[in-house]
Parts: sequence; C-alpha cells; structure tokens
Amino acid sequence: MIVKIENVTKAYNKTPVIRGVSLGIEKGERIVILGPSGCGKTTLLRMVAGFIHPDKGKLVIEGKTVADNGKCIIEPEGRQVGMVFQDLTLWPHMSSYKNIEFGLKAKKIPKTEIREQIDSILEKVQMIQFRNAYPGDLSGGQQQRIALARALVTRPKILLMDEPLSSLDTDLRGVLMREILRLQEELTITMIYVTHDREEAFSLATRIVVMKEGEIQKTGTVSQIKEWL
Amino acid sequence: MKMAKRVTLYITIFLFAGIGLAPVVVMFFKSLFVDGGFSLENYGVLFQSNREWTLLFNTLVLAGATTFITVLLGVPLGTLFAKTDLPFRRFFAVLFIIPLLIPSYILAVAWFYCMGRSGIVASLLGETAGIVTSNFLFGFAGTLFVMVSALLPIVIILTMTYLRMVNQDMEEAGRIYSSWPVVLRKITLPLISPGIALGALITFVLTLGEFGVPSFLRFDVYSVESFTMFSAFYDFSSATATALPLGIITIVVLIIERLFLRKKTFVSRTMGLEKKKAVVPLGKYKPYFLIGVSILVFILVVVPLCVLLCKSLSLSAYVEAFARSAGSIMRSLLYASIGASCLVIFGFLLGYILDRKALRLHYAVDSLAVFLFALPGAVIGIGLSNLWNTSGTNFIYASIPIIIFGYIAQYTALGERIMAATFPHVSHSMEEAAQIAGAGWYRRVFKVLVPLVKRGMIATWLICFIFCLRDIGITMMIYPPAHDTLPVRTFTLMANSPDNIISALCVIMVMITLLPLCGLGLVRKYVT
Repeated sequence: MIVKIENVTKAYNKTPVIRGVSLGIEKGERIVILGPSGCGKTTLLRMVAGFIHPDKGKLVIEGKTVADNGKCIIEPEGRQVGMVFQDLTLWPHMSSYKNIEFGLKAKKIPKTEIREQIDSILEKVQMIQFRNAYPGDLSGGQQQRIALARALVTRPKILLMDEPLSSLDTDLRGVLMREILRLQEELTITMIYVTHDREEAFSLATRIVVMKEGEIQKTGTVSQIKEWL
Repeated sequence: MKMAKRVTLYITIFLFAGIGLAPVVVMFFKSLFVDGGFSLENYGVLFQSNREWTLLFNTLVLAGATTFITVLLGVPLGTLFAKTDLPFRRFFAVLFIIPLLIPSYILAVAWFYCMGRSGIVASLLGETAGIVTSNFLFGFAGTLFVMVSALLPIVIILTMTYLRMVNQDMEEAGRIYSSWPVVLRKITLPLISPGIALGALITFVLTLGEFGVPSFLRFDVYSVESFTMFSAFYDFSSATATALPLGIITIVVLIIERLFLRKKTFVSRTMGLEKKKAVVPLGKYKPYFLIGVSILVFILVVVPLCVLLCKSLSLSAYVEAFARSAGSIMRSLLYASIGASCLVIFGFLLGYILDRKALRLHYAVDSLAVFLFALPGAVIGIGLSNLWNTSGTNFIYASIPIIIFGYIAQYTALGERIMAATFPHVSHSMEEAAQIAGAGWYRRVFKVLVPLVKRGMIATWLICFIFCLRDIGITMMIYPPAHDTLPVRTFTLMANSPDNIISALCVIMVMITLLPLCGLGLVRKYVT
C-alpha cells in the first residue's frame, strides 16, 4: 500500500471538515475522490501533500509515517509527491522551462540531466515548442499541460490533482483527460484525483471514493459507484 | 445621461489640472523670464555653480541610501509580520507604523534630545559622548537614520499588503519541492516585486522632497535650498530654478516606475474567498528573530517616542504648549479634515476614471497625479504662491483655500490610487443593472457605487487626513498669516522655545493624528 490514511480528522474553528476518514491506496491506482463542494475532498488531498496536518489520525506514505496526531513528521518537499492545482498556478515570473526546472534544481540534479529531463517531459505533454514561453503567453490548456509537466518531471511516487480541469472548456477537458490517462499509464504513477464532476471521475478512475460532509460514503470501482449512485 | 458622466469627469480633471498642474507650469515659465525678457540666466547660474552640483549629489545620495536601507529592512520585516509565526507580530507591525503617522522632523527632534551635545546620551555618558553622537546626528548619517525610521513603515505596509495578495497555491506548488526559505526567495518575493518596487519608489520620492529633517539636521539638499531661496531671499526665480532638478529627477523616476511596474501583471492576486494563509514556521530561529525585531523597534520607535514623553512629562509643559498652539491644533484638524474630504471626492472620481478607463485621458490624469505626488512639497508650494499671489486672487492666497489647494495638488494620487484599487471589487454589472433600471449617472454613483466602495472611501479619508495633518513641505511655503498648522507652529517654535514645550507639542501632534484612527476603531467595535 503506497498511501494509508488512518482514522484522520480535521476541524477548522471547531467545525469538523474531515471526520474519521480511513483509506488505503495501492501502487499504480487511479483514485478519484468525488463529492460536492465543501465535502472535505480537497482538505484530504492537501493533507496527503503536507499542507494541512490532521488533528487526529495517522498518514503513511510508502511505509513512512508522514503525519501523526496533529504533528507533521515529513514536510511536503520530503513526501515525493507531485501536485497539479485547480487554479493555473504556474509562476508568472518564470518561463515554462524555469517552472519545470524548479523541482529538479531542488533535487540538485546536474544541469545537463535537467535539460534532458525537461525536454523529454515537454515532448510528452506536447509543449516542446513553448519551452521558453511565459505563462502569460499561454492559453489555459497549455498552462495546465506545463503544470502537469512540472508535477511529473521529478518522477513523484504519487501525483495529486485538485480539480485540474475545472477551469477549462469541455473540449479541452476531454483532450487533457486522455493525456493524463496516457501519462499515468506510461509513467505508472499512483494518482489521487479530486473532482465534483461524475463524468470526469468515471473516465479517469480505477477506484472512486465518494465523500460527503467530511466522511467517506462509498468506495468502489466505476461500475460499482455508477450502480450505487 | 452619458453626458452628465462625461461632463462631471472632465470638470474634475480640469479642476485638478488647474489646482495642481497650472502652478507648476506657470512657475516654470516665469523662471524663463528675467526683467521682462526671455532668459535662461536662472538656469545658467544653477548649472555653473559647484554648490548646486553638491546639493544634487547630496539629494540623490540621501534618497538612494534611504531607499536602499528601507527596502533592505522593510521587506524582511514585512515578511516576518505577514507570513511567519513570530510572536507579537501584529503588535510589532503597529509599533513600526507609528512613525509614519507623525511628521518626520518630530523624529529628528526626538533624536536631537537624545543625541544632541547636551542630550540624554551626553548627560549619561559625558560631554565627549555627546559630541560624538551629535556629530553623527547632524549631517548625512543622522539624516539618513531618521529618514529610514520615518519611511520604513511604507515598505513594511506594502510588503505585507502584497504578500496577502499572493495566491497560496503558487507557494504550495513550490513547497512540494523546496523548503520555505527557497520558496520565499524564488517564488514569493519575485511575485511581490512590484510591491517592493512601489515601496522603493515612494520612499525615494518622499526623501527627495523631504524638507523638515534635512533642514533640522543641517544636511544640505535641494528642497531646503528651494525653501531658503523662497522664504529667506524671496527669490521666486532662483527658487524655481533650484526646484527644476527635483522635477527632472521626479520625471525620470516616474518613467522608471511606468516601465517596471506597468508591465507587471498581478496574476498572483487571489479574488473571491481566500484560503487561510500558510504560516512559515520560524522553528529554532524564532527567539533570534524576536530579539532582532525587538531591538530594531526599540531603537527606531520606542526610544524617540519615550524621549518625547519624558521630555514633556510635566503638566505645565502641556498647559504652555496648548496655550501657544491651541489655534494651530484646531486649524490642523480643520484643514486636514477639509483636505481629506476634498481628496476623497477627487480620489473617487479620478480613481473611477483610472479603473473603468472612463475617459481616454485616464493614463495622462494618473501620470499627472503621481507626478505631483512625487514632486517635493516645497516646489508645489512655490508654484501655488507664484500663481495665486496677485491682487485679484488674494482672497484665495490669503485664506484657507490655498492650503487646501496644496493638499489637493500633492496628495490626490493617494486617493486616486486607493479608490482605483477599490473599484475592481465592484463588478461593472452592478452599475449596468442600475443603468438598465433607468438610473442616471449621479443616482448610480450615490445609490450604487458609493455604498459599495464606502470602506475604500473611509480608508482614503483616513490616509489623506494623516498626510494632510503631518504635511509641512507645502504648508510651510504657503500658509497665510494666522493660518499656521501644528507642524508648522512646532517647527517655527523650535528655534526659541524650551525643550519640554516642543516635546509636548510633538506628543500632542502624535495624539491628534491617532485621534481619528481611535475614533474609527471605536466605531467599528460598537457598530459592527
């Protein structure tokens, strides 16, 4: 099991947003957390990333406890995760190349290797011609491809995606969904994907986790969830 | 309906140009004529004199050094207060902001009582120590020190404000790979660079135009020279000519601002509901930061304020101070209130033009407002005297309007920029909905826009009130007889009044500046 969430709770100003959630995720799985706004799905994802720490419960990634009863044991940069955010969060003062380079530089990889890896990932997301472009010069879809490249280039063990397609139009969403599936299979990364869109969940998931009011309502395969819904 | 809007906005621009630009233009043209004929003699003298070059050098070095040190200290302090878990950070932030509320020269006075030849240091450590500290204070180092402590709040406030606008997801995207120090250095600070540049620009232009501190600490700069030419020799042309380099520097700085700041887009700005901001843990370094910030706040804020309080600590000093300046206190409050109210009106309308691009002139109007804000107060003061000191306009020159004109000329940019930053929070469709319902422009303004931006208007009023109240550059130049304000009164009394009375006046100045802020705090507490 690559991720193990054990009886995790979280409250903001005494209002519980996550209530005793437990979930295990196997290596290579594509987990989609599905639920309406405010159900706690993004909070759960951000807990795995390390931006939020559970008040109670335990979080284990690759056998290592990363957070335990309100205590952060491993900071986000040590968790070997990649993340694509809902908003377009490319750093506007950096070119596409520099955006992708940031994570590799933090890993102290030699320059020549960095260049090779960036070109390779840019080719994979079909954005090689935009390697020197700045985010302001790119469309929403192009920006999200670069964001995907930035998240994947460090070869994370787990890819976290927080409604990454919600700001894009329907056609582009379809194209990028296929793109994400292809890359996930090619790179065999475990993916945790958060969305409120059922169709998106059905298209991407190997397993769906349905959340409501901070609790897991149902977990199952796409067909099981379709039947249940 | 469209006509009413256009006419109102054009009248506003016309009035603003008449009040602010006309004096500067007339002053410049007058300086080109000597004995009734066209001549560049005033400028010839200016550029041939060694003293003028020394003044230019002093002015630029003082402004540059103040800006550099202010940014160097202000950005880390702003970051500590806005982003970290430093204990008492809000309390520290409030303390650091106090010097901005009072005229800079009051800080110079406080430090004089502390470090002058017969100051507190001399009385504690002996005459030699007093001579050393006095030598430090009077001259470049002392002027720089006081200017840094006076203007540091600007960079701190802007850093904190811009940090609050950074989209947290952008920082978190960096935190996936790196620790907070790297994220702050490589992502957060570059994202807020327009805010830092704006802080640097304001600091630079305010130092450029500062008259009180260099004058008191006897460091020769252009603004002091302009004032001396004007008030001591009553030489309009030379005063104008000495103002020219400051005008040119101001224009150059503004061009740099336009090139650097205008091209930056604040894509980091988060709109709508914001997530709880991430706090950078200081960890084991927390005590060191706490000690460092405490020492800094003690030196820059607590010491001068305590010196003033200690020096004035007798009832008789306050009674005497009130007796000597009761009229000035009332006038200060009245003029600052009128000035702030006028600035809210100008700020509202010009801010509307700027944000909604309501007229083609929006860019030119904004440039003019910023230019006049950046122009030293002494220069605007000379211009206003030049224009209005005629027998036909004496009713303006010899009464309150001339001071209010000065405030409008210099500080409209503040109101305009604050309002322009407020209007984006009101969707165009709100106004359009009222228009569809048949409301004319005035009705839309009073029934829709004003209620929706009233918080911005209150903020504008308060900030403009503080700036008008602490103003000395313009008021000193143009106040009509028996119309002096408290900063001017204190400044003129300094030469021949006992220390305790001057200190008491300074404390009163601080108190009356804090008055509306406390009032607003109470209103917010009991009304909301």
